[in-house]
Amino acid sequence: MTEVLLRSLALAAASSAVLLLVAAPLAYLSRRPYPGRTLVETLLLLPLALPPTVLGFYLLLLLAPEGPVARLLGFELAFSFPGMVLGAALFSFPFAYTAYREAFRALDPALLETARTLGAGPGRRLREVVLPLVWPGLLSGTLLAFAHALGEFGVVLMVGGNIPGRTQVASTYIYELVARLELEKAHQASLTVLVLALALVYLTRSLEERWRSATGSPGPTR
Amino acid sequence: MEVRYRITRPYPLEAAFELGRFTALLGPSGAGKTTLIRALAGLVPGRGTPYGGLPAERRPVGYLPQNLALFPHLNAWQNVAFPLAHLPPGERKERALALLGRFGLSEKADRRPAELSGGEARRVALARALAREPELILLDEPTAGLDRPNRSQVLRAILAALSSGNVRALVATHDPELAQAADRVVVLERGKVLQEGPSDRVFNHPASPRVAQLLGYENRFSGRVVQREGELALLATEAGRLYAKTELPVGTRVGIFLRPEEVLIVREGRPLSPVDAQNTLVGRLRCVRRMGPVVEAEFQGRIELLLRLPRHVEDRLGLATGEIRRVVLKPRYLQLFSEEEDSFSSE
Repeated sequence: MTEVLLRSLALAAASSAVLLLVAAPLAYLSRRPYPGRTLVETLLLLPLALPPTVLGFYLLLLLAPEGPVARLLGFELAFSFPGMVLGAALFSFPFAYTAYREAFRALDPALLETARTLGAGPGRRLREVVLPLVWPGLLSGTLLAFAHALGEFGVVLMVGGNIPGRTQVASTYIYELVARLELEKAHQASLTVLVLALALVYLTRSLEERWRSATGSPGPTR
Repeated sequence: MEVRYRITRPYPLEAAFELGRFTALLGPSGAGKTTLIRALAGLVPGRGTPYGGLPAERRPVGYLPQNLALFPHLNAWQNVAFPLAHLPPGERKERALALLGRFGLSEKADRRPAELSGGEARRVALARALAREPELILLDEPTAGLDRPNRSQVLRAILAALSSGNVRALVATHDPELAQAADRVVVLERGKVLQEGPSDRVFNHPASPRVAQLLGYENRFSGRVVQREGELALLATEAGRLYAKTELPVGTRVGIFLRPEEVLIVREGRPLSPVDAQNTLVGRLRCVRRMGPVVEAEFQGRIELLLRLPRHVEDRLGLATGEIRRVVLKPRYLQLFSEEEDSFSSE
């Protein structure tokens, strides 16, 4: 049980870290329109509308031992932990991306412009203006992605295969326990996940509140 | 110092004018005031002098946007210290505190922008814009939305900043008090300079009916030059025969513009000069409105006029709605434009 839960946490941590590194810069760029933005966003938000099994199925085809990724790049990700990280990250992408986008949108462009006129180059603007103002938004988006990845089932099952000791995580473990009618154990595991999820979502909400008050209108328009 | 700018986006704008120590940029909303200010700050692409081609980071200007853009996560002194990144930290704080002190904000140094009043926030933003000792500060509506005491406090802060050091100011504004404190005025409309010059000159001799309208010449009626008498001319107008100062030839049809503040109410029993006597109208005060320190009245004689006078003057006159009064239209306050110009620019 502990091992399965730890793997779940590791999967959630790894996939949300990937999202912070990939989705946050993309969300920052999307503040302004660029050619093809609608198409790019459609692809990025697609996992919202896809059954996880469909996403998992195509990923499996891509990542399979004889699949295109293995042939072209030379590594196999199917039924491995990195493959699951990729799947979970893709599936949580819309949630993280939307949260990051909102965080950046709440940033008043006049602050960045004024920082320029005050002599601050791109590095200082990012470090001293953007990050201090958006970090609660980024953190809450990442926590949301973390919570989402923790509860992921379909993609993880398809790509990971629920191999005990290798790719079995809390959600697939509970599914197996129920299938084997070991309801007492299933109950224990479910309760643990429930408490964890509750704590995470609560933390996310509190951060959002705090972030809203930090970026609230400053002085002049009162 | 001369400004010469050409902007194509977001709006086409072309402006060339002389920059005084304190230059007011006037014009209706949408005239391009903000665009011009932003172009000078390097935030909108524009070509011209000064600073053409320099990135915003390297222009020796201080920019104060309409919403101030104080950094909400930094307190007042940290905001003022932001542009002083080239100094060692101790000196940064010292300089920032000194600047805040100059604007009477020493006690507010540790407050966040959200904890400052509108007037205080503006003075902090002004201190921040001045911190790098710019050549030019660009202020976008610095007094908009402030109450009267805060407005005059911000105006005094601007004037104080200009009186020390070598900084000039270009101020986009709707505030007549602020505009009249300027030494030069630029009137902008639809991306073009309608008139520029020393503020007395522009305010007292608007170059066109449109400028007159924008600068508060709210009364307008028409007439025709019938006779010249030295530097004065006698006009036949809707209001009767009036003297005015003009060089226009006999026969010209004219639009006559007059400020509500420059319609004088006659105190009965005072002798009038022959010219003033000729320029006297009789009529009824239809409506007298007391608005704080200012009193407005609608005068209905052969023409309708709007009158505006300070309360201390009205106290002596004792105006009441429905009264019959005489008003004098002084020749030097009548701005005349030949009718062709008038119809041309009021299209």
